[in-house]
Amino acid sequence: MSVHRLSVRVALGFLIVIVVQSLSAGEIQRCAVDDVGQELCLPAPAHRIVTLSPGATELIFAAGAGDKVVAVVNYSDYPPEALKLPLVGSHTRVDMEALLALRPDLVITWVTGNPPAQMELLDELGIPTFAIEPRTFEGVSSVIERLATLAGTEQEGLAEAERFRVGITALSEQYRNAEPIPVFYQVWEQPLMTINNDHLIGKVLQLCGGVNVFGDMPRLVPRISAEVVLQADPHAILTGSVEGVSDDQLDSWKQYSELTAVKKNNLFFVPASPISRPTPRLLEATRIVCDYLDSARER
Amino acid sequence: MIRPLLSLGFLACAAVLLALGLGSVTVPLPEIWQVMQGEGSALNRALLLDLRLPRTLAALATGGLLAVAGALMQVLLRNPLADPYVLGLSGGAAVGALLAMLAGMGTILISGSAFAGAMLATLLVFGLAHGTGSWTPSRLLLTGVVVAAGWGAVITLMLAITPSYKLPGMLYWLMGDVSYARTPWPALIVLVFSVVLIMPLARNLNVLARGPLQAAALGVSVRPLEWTIYLLASLLTATAVTTAGSIGFVGLIVPHMLRLVLGNDQRIILPASALAGGTLLVLADTLARTAIAPEQLPVGVITALLGVPTFLYLLHRSR
Repeated sequence: MSVHRLSVRVALGFLIVIVVQSLSAGEIQRCAVDDVGQELCLPAPAHRIVTLSPGATELIFAAGAGDKVVAVVNYSDYPPEALKLPLVGSHTRVDMEALLALRPDLVITWVTGNPPAQMELLDELGIPTFAIEPRTFEGVSSVIERLATLAGTEQEGLAEAERFRVGITALSEQYRNAEPIPVFYQVWEQPLMTINNDHLIGKVLQLCGGVNVFGDMPRLVPRISAEVVLQADPHAILTGSVEGVSDDQLDSWKQYSELTAVKKNNLFFVPASPISRPTPRLLEATRIVCDYLDSARER
Repeated sequence: MIRPLLSLGFLACAAVLLALGLGSVTVPLPEIWQVMQGEGSALNRALLLDLRLPRTLAALATGGLLAVAGALMQVLLRNPLADPYVLGLSGGAAVGALLAMLAGMGTILISGSAFAGAMLATLLVFGLAHGTGSWTPSRLLLTGVVVAAGWGAVITLMLAITPSYKLPGMLYWLMGDVSYARTPWPALIVLVFSVVLIMPLARNLNVLARGPLQAAALGVSVRPLEWTIYLLASLLTATAVTTAGSIGFVGLIVPHMLRLVLGNDQRIILPASALAGGTLLVLADTLARTAIAPEQLPVGVITALLGVPTFLYLLHRSR
């Protein structure tokens, strides 16, 4: 017993020492843990940042460090300022020379989107990397906070993270008791693909009171047949399109007039990149989805 | 006989120097010279020694390995369409690599697993084609093609049931690219040793290329020679695939190009394939990473764009 208590005390003592050390170090070092559990400590706020995914570009701008970004990858189209930044290739093939020549002090990578071999090479070259891939609403807020910590832009970053958190909480309060409505979200038309409840889009549907008819599928992005969609008879069908403008992606469903979603004209288009990128714009996309489901309930 | 090899060697050296000098970042010649003398800025050293040099040497070795393997397969199967992958070796390597990725292993273990898969594919085809009684190159070819189709099905199945977040890594591997090569040394060593080892057999290969009966009549022990070629070509291909994934075209076209120009003498074709295959891949990779920099093109696109017109020209001229 006493031995146990002693060890607890010793452990407590160590803990205090560690906390004090990290506090005193905090003035010079900035540390954050990335989405694969790797801790990164920078001696000074990052001021030459390169992002290796369009989502990472949005998130670093959201964190208030947009003016410290020196290069991005292709398709970094938001915010518009990002379009003016130099490119270091695409997320699938990074131009390592161009990247190295920019002497970045922080490279924000994409856990599953960048080629693993190139990411290992970055580590070997001693370039600080921070791998991100938010898979929850809270993950979006948290990654903005962590990026703000690394870039020394806590003031803006924490506020933006909080804005997103508060917005999502308010929406989920609003729709907590909303009438459940069966929904099908079409990720891709040919081959037909959807998402399950673990996917962030699935979480958006759930938050708005939608019941994803394929929510229990084991795979994150299952391939399905049109038959099972007809069998599930969703009351609303959603898909992503450029700027949320309606196009021909859902036309093939119109031939099935017995489908409730078609009968009630509940075919909806959500802006594609806000709903598919885990960034603050997801809040706006969630609002749009919730509105669509509201109007579907009324019809 | 030596002259074509000398000029190809010269071309290979020139291609390597060009690859070192060109990139999406311009390093002026004097600064390249500084780095070569062990000086120069940290950035230039990293650009040249950590990025360009390993990548260029990996391209040189991979191209050489594939071309020599292709030349050997064409002699062995006496089929002009034979390439290093025709017997399902890249399929076996891919299954090995994908299995390692599914298990969440690191890049070194993935390479090891790919190599093991390639060798397993080799032994499988060897065992099946050997069977009982007689065998012929056409039996080997059929066995290999069918086994390759089997590997293809396994790969598709694995991609279909893999969690989607692991898919990009797998697709990168399947596409094959020199930029994913981590170290060129195993490939270079295997290439040099294999070419040195095969040279004494080149005369027998020349006889074999005219048909097994003639070869046997001229005192060549055909079957051991054929199995040696098969195993050696497999080792070369496995090393290439392990270094840079399955890069197509080089192994099929380079030996044919050289035969059109130099004639079908394996004593020249084999070392020439090593040099020309390496040169082609080095040039293709240099173009791939500079043509529309900072966008990076897949090297396979460029090998085909460079190789197809060259080959068609040579074919046309040889009529």
